[in-house]
Amino acid sequence: MVTRDALMAGAREPEAGTPKAAATSPATHGSDDPAGFLPRDDFDRLFDLLRADGRTVVGPTLADGAIVYAEIAGTADLPDGQSDRQSPGAYRLEPTGRARLFDFAVGPSSWKRYTFPPRLPLTRGRRVDGQVTFRAIELDPPRLAFVGVRACDIAALLVQDRAFSRGPVPDADYVARREAAVVVAVECVSPSDTCFCTSMGTGPEVTGSFDLALTELDEGFVVRPGSDVGRYLAYRIGTRPATADEIARARRDVAGARARMGDPIPTAGLPERLLAAADSPHWAEVAERCLACTNCTLVCPTCFCTSVTQSSDLAGSEAIAGRVWDSCFTLGFARVAGGNFRPRVQDRYRQWLTHKFAGWWEQFGTSGCVGCGRCITWCPVGIDVRAELMVVAGPDGGGIETVEPLAPVNPTPRPAESRPISRVPIISRTVLVSHVRHETPDVVTLHLQTEDASLLTGRPGQFVMAALPGISAPPISISRFHHDGFELTIRAAGAATRALCSLRPGETIGVTGPLGRGWPLEAAYGRDVIVVTGGIGLAPLRPLLDVVLRERERFGAVRLLYGARTPSDRLFADELSELAGRDDLEVHSSVDRAGPEWLGRVGVVTTLLEQASWDGSRAVAFVCGPERMMEATADVLGDLGVARDRIWVTMERHMACGVGLCGHCQLGPSFVCRDGPVFSLGELGRAFGREGW
Amino acid sequence: MLATRTPTPRGAAPRRPRLGVVKFASCDGCQLTLLDLEDQLLDLVAAFDLVEFAEASSHRSSGPFDIVLVEGSISTPEQAEEIIRIRSQATLLVVIGACATAGGIQALRNWRDHEIVRRAVYADPAYVDALATSTPISDHVTVDAELRGCPIDPQQLLELLTALAVGRRPQIPNEAVCLECKRQGTVCVLVARNEPCLGPVTHTGCGAICPAFARGCYGCFGPREAANTGSLVAWFGRDGRPATETAALFSGFTAYARPFRSAIDDLGGPPGPAAPAGDTPSQEVGGDARR
Repeated sequence: MVTRDALMAGAREPEAGTPKAAATSPATHGSDDPAGFLPRDDFDRLFDLLRADGRTVVGPTLADGAIVYAEIAGTADLPDGQSDRQSPGAYRLEPTGRARLFDFAVGPSSWKRYTFPPRLPLTRGRRVDGQVTFRAIELDPPRLAFVGVRACDIAALLVQDRAFSRGPVPDADYVARREAAVVVAVECVSPSDTCFCTSMGTGPEVTGSFDLALTELDEGFVVRPGSDVGRYLAYRIGTRPATADEIARARRDVAGARARMGDPIPTAGLPERLLAAADSPHWAEVAERCLACTNCTLVCPTCFCTSVTQSSDLAGSEAIAGRVWDSCFTLGFARVAGGNFRPRVQDRYRQWLTHKFAGWWEQFGTSGCVGCGRCITWCPVGIDVRAELMVVAGPDGGGIETVEPLAPVNPTPRPAESRPISRVPIISRTVLVSHVRHETPDVVTLHLQTEDASLLTGRPGQFVMAALPGISAPPISISRFHHDGFELTIRAAGAATRALCSLRPGETIGVTGPLGRGWPLEAAYGRDVIVVTGGIGLAPLRPLLDVVLRERERFGAVRLLYGARTPSDRLFADELSELAGRDDLEVHSSVDRAGPEWLGRVGVVTTLLEQASWDGSRAVAFVCGPERMMEATADVLGDLGVARDRIWVTMERHMACGVGLCGHCQLGPSFVCRDGPVFSLGELGRAFGREGW
Repeated sequence: MLATRTPTPRGAAPRRPRLGVVKFASCDGCQLTLLDLEDQLLDLVAAFDLVEFAEASSHRSSGPFDIVLVEGSISTPEQAEEIIRIRSQATLLVVIGACATAGGIQALRNWRDHEIVRRAVYADPAYVDALATSTPISDHVTVDAELRGCPIDPQQLLELLTALAVGRRPQIPNEAVCLECKRQGTVCVLVARNEPCLGPVTHTGCGAICPAFARGCYGCFGPREAANTGSLVAWFGRDGRPATETAALFSGFTAYARPFRSAIDDLGGPPGPAAPAGDTPSQEVGGDARR
């Protein structure tokens, strides 16, 4: 047992995080090894071997009127002589009359249940007498073997690899599960009416990234190893060489499957067409039928969005943070303390479809769709993504006037910020609240002290997730850097920020970060600097002003335009007065409304700009505020001659993970937490200031 | 909204929030859910000062309350007055259960002639002083939070109370039951069996129990946000399922909650004898004689 285990371990060649897609050879469907043949009567040897290696074998089996993936013991659990009939919104089991074990298309479950479990505890937090600690929950990933993986689902595993294993921040649990899993593929010869892997280029032929690939014939299986593990398994099972006739019949069956599917979706140029259709009236039409029930996303084998959940005892002293499958179709998905970015169902449907078929290319260099058809069959009202795509973004333009794409298809990348976080689960680091300053009736600045060097590497515009055990960790911009810590300026807008605002000196909190891309100060060297902000928006710009004033000679004229609702809502009022007294920058303030005590200007912040007479062609602008304020500001800045690529804004979106893995903060093809929050208007394209994104 | 902890000097024991449990027209099942939290009861009374809970204690209080859990619908003139008094005594008013959030099963009378219902139910209706309608608490006073279900889910109740005690936003998602089915790996009964299921339009929280036992959801948690009943009703009817059958499916514990109510109206009203001539269900419902 130990020896076999060691052999198997030695036989696994891929390293953590590396895809296995490289070793493909289409001529033989992915392997140079001679094909073997395994009689059906000997098929159980495979299961025995996998289980003897300490593996849980997961494969197709009948349950609740469908063929699902579940733990199975051997061939007796496979759906012998069963097939399925699928159409939009309907799935029925159907006996085939022939004794085959894999004579069906994919069902409601996908392998992601096993590589990316629906619920996963991540970290444990403790809070006793105001002192917090966080630690990871030990991973205990099972050793799995997947038997019956179709080509579309291999493609889906590779797509999720790109999100979870090969991104900047790998997911430790996913990597462990995925790398330990043996993949036994079975080629598809019975596609359903909802399948379209042929259009997505993922099947039905199994061409790589498997350990063992089988093609079923009436009397047994043509067997091809795709890895050393597969060769070992084939050797141990004792296959004989396949005959030319067996190989030919296997190829013919798979070719038959391909012919039956045809090519229902012309995919060439689809991402561009889809982004150009951002304003299509068809989104509202789909929303009349769409239930926003999330079934399409949860049956999708590539959808990876999650939410972070909190649980704790009643005293709040022991807490567990976990993650749970979520969907861009729920209302809460895009909710922030001040409102919701995608309240309408048409916004949510558009988010899903444009992400799946367009945004994914930007994010992961692949389509998010593998053509398995699950979203079509398992939509309770039978919405067929193939048909919707053809209406909204068909090759003839779908009857919709093509406009400028939503976002540039290839935005110029900026160098990534330093990434102190190496993998998830991210463990919050404990920092001391050394001082608390009440700025306005609902805004507090926490001075945080730490000796942890990784927390002191941030740059202006970056943020941290600020955590208390049992309470969600909101993203908070860093409002000043010190040699031994930093400041967070927080407005009590929801429960989590209220809890942070009620902290007292001597207590501790957890932080992760610094996260995201900050303000590109270098872009302003030798240029005029314009800072336009309102209310709490001054907080993320304060460290930028600190640097600009410290390195004053690097910049031309510097102007700060600051608006607040009322005089008592003005942040850092003392500092603003001090700045106004300097002769090397201009400070202009306004308030929306005020009593007789206010001698300054009254009106929204853009009125300050509208009276400006300077030439913006030499300027770089840094803007932070509500989206509508930034939009209005950008218009006026444009009129003053500031180029769109030199107008930098910081975007707000729901963030749960902070590292681009939970999916909540998507804005067009960007993850705001990872690719932003600071963007130039050029990078955002038409995604800036538009309803429903 | 949910800040129930008042700042206290360091070292001093924080004042426990005063918790009350009151009921109107209901079966008491939701209140009992609190007593069913057996493993947490001692922690709960340590975290909350349980000042009013007639089901559990003869020590009574008429207020004030930091938090009051309200069970039941408003079904009599006295109740309509009492709920206003309770509201005036409560910082945070949380309605619990299908009766309090939707009017309950007794709201089916809202589609009927009240006099006929009274005579059918009571031997001597002269002694019964009831309103013509059974209505949710939110029709009468402002509600701060709600727990759905018939009965409510004990874990959701515990989450609500824990969140209030700890100071986090209660994690009571308003999404469809479908998410829970999919997370659990329950095969969709609607797609795989053509079993009519209200899961896609129903508020989650029950743990998707019914589909796990191969039957359709009957909506006891009421409509979720953005419940597209129109699309689901059209789908149910596509292969000739009679409108009365679909109407019956919606005519349960949360029938009176919009948009279930509108779906029932569009389908010709709930099952049972038709409303009196000249008083169509939609008029009765649309004009509803509440207050």
